[in-house]
Amino acid sequence: MTTLATPPDTAPLDDTPAVPDRAPRRKVGRWILFAVMLAIAAVMLYPFWVMIFTSLKSEQQFLSGGGFSWLSWRDLTSVIPIGQEILSSTIVCSASILVILVVGLPAGFAFSKLRFRASTAVFLIMVSAMMVPLQAILMPEFVNVTRLHLTGGYLGAILVYAALGTPFSVFLFTTYFRGVPDELIEAGIVDGLGYFGALWRLVVPIAIPAIATVTVLQFIQIWDDLLVGLLFIQNTNERPITVGLAVLAAGRTTSIPELMAGSLISAVPAMVVYLIFQRYLVKGLTMGIDR
Amino acid sequence: MTTNAPRARRLTLRRRRQLAGFAFALPAIALVVGFIGVPIGQAVYYSFTQWDGLTSTWIGWSTWSQAFHNTDLWTALENNAKLLITVPFALGLPLLIAVLLHQRVAGWRIFRSIYFLPTAISWVVLGLVAERFFAYQGTLNSIIHFFGFAHTNTNMLGYESTALTALGITFIFTMIGTNTILFLTGLATLDPTLEEAARIDGAGRWRIFRSITLPHLSRFIQLAFVVTVIALFSALFSLIFVMTGGGPGYSTTTMEFLIYQTGFNQGDFGTAALYGLILFVLTAIVGIVQLRLIGSNE
Repeated sequence: MTTLATPPDTAPLDDTPAVPDRAPRRKVGRWILFAVMLAIAAVMLYPFWVMIFTSLKSEQQFLSGGGFSWLSWRDLTSVIPIGQEILSSTIVCSASILVILVVGLPAGFAFSKLRFRASTAVFLIMVSAMMVPLQAILMPEFVNVTRLHLTGGYLGAILVYAALGTPFSVFLFTTYFRGVPDELIEAGIVDGLGYFGALWRLVVPIAIPAIATVTVLQFIQIWDDLLVGLLFIQNTNERPITVGLAVLAAGRTTSIPELMAGSLISAVPAMVVYLIFQRYLVKGLTMGIDR
Repeated sequence: MTTNAPRARRLTLRRRRQLAGFAFALPAIALVVGFIGVPIGQAVYYSFTQWDGLTSTWIGWSTWSQAFHNTDLWTALENNAKLLITVPFALGLPLLIAVLLHQRVAGWRIFRSIYFLPTAISWVVLGLVAERFFAYQGTLNSIIHFFGFAHTNTNMLGYESTALTALGITFIFTMIGTNTILFLTGLATLDPTLEEAARIDGAGRWRIFRSITLPHLSRFIQLAFVVTVIALFSALFSLIFVMTGGGPGYSTTTMEFLIYQTGFNQGDFGTAALYGLILFVLTAIVGIVQLRLIGSNE
């Protein structure tokens, strides 16, 4: 079973009480392990610690080091239009995800159950598009979207996000639907549901976990993104929150405590989504390798 | 017309299914072709032109020869290459953390949630926090002072010699969550009786890790490697934008940031499109490895 060369001469099992001196050592080991885990937790929580404690200072207190104040939180909305930016982020995120689902679900259904000529080749090309970073096609993309006059509102950014998210969602849905028995679909179509009915009534209800995975992953990705929002939303009063923060930070004139307060607010939605839907996120990240 | 109606109907059943399939796939295909496929073609065309975004004039290979004589390009490529040094750390630390989590010490679920939490946060925000960490009055100097070096002060982001290292350290931190998730999933698929059997056979912890755990994780390590390298080539933009703006000088300008700067700060769209193609080729090489990974699984 194993390639280990140790002869099987060792007598009773380690963790039986017959070997008394091992138990305390193991216990100490457990405590050391626990301490290490705590230390790592402290490091991983460092960003939150910085954001919370820095935001609870006025600019003077921040520069001098000591003190505590709500000032930065009170003045926050006059420096960063938080409400409007959260709204923009929400609009862009939900619209992009909607487009991704609306085009991704039927495509996944088609590539898995309604194969057409060359559908495998098309599917492979689609999957390879997953690998193309936006930066590689940034200039033509920007010029195209500008020429179509889509950078005025949210539409340009929504379409770019949707296009970047679609390959992954198609891949995930196709893989997922392959697990659905053909007979179920056949029966539905024969029963007069039609192709659209079969998709809507049979496939979509089964696909809820896959839909959740795509939604959670894309939400976090789009909410956290900078590049698309920065370039494809031209009106400053339509900026998503991540872009607003980054632009303020790059300007180097905003007070750090206020920037940290804004950062903390911007981080909350994605964190909440993550904590609730952790399971789906893990599934999505390891898609295609853990099955 | 009426005579071949039955045959036509039989044909339509199969054909209708194919047509339905094509119609269902069409919106996704159109979106991806329009917003990813076409721009790749355009990038190739525009790389042979002088282009400011409005008018383009064909100048053949001279954009290319100029670009390859441009030291900025070589600096950016060199920075990308140097940052590859972070990859072993961005894989090794999460591997260690995943193994620790897998010991299922008391409260490991809570630890797991905490370790993954930064994964949900924007790299813009993490970049802002990292800037605080490395700043003159930041946490790093406090730590150094705490250990007794009261007169030692660092300002890593402020100097050409150290800024890239600071960026690399930040990158390692930002990758910990994702890679730990990958490795932990891998460990969960490991049959615990294998390790148990080895332990009974008298194998030590290290031996078990080397001979059983690591080989089992190889596919997950490969995947994490690809994910990390692709992130390194195409996800540093947010960090660079808020931490250094590519500076001091060009010391933290990577390929993706150079594309942005060349296009939007210098208005040289043609050269930026060409740089994009270079980035495309670099990621394609890594991407092919990943496709083979996914492919070999099906």
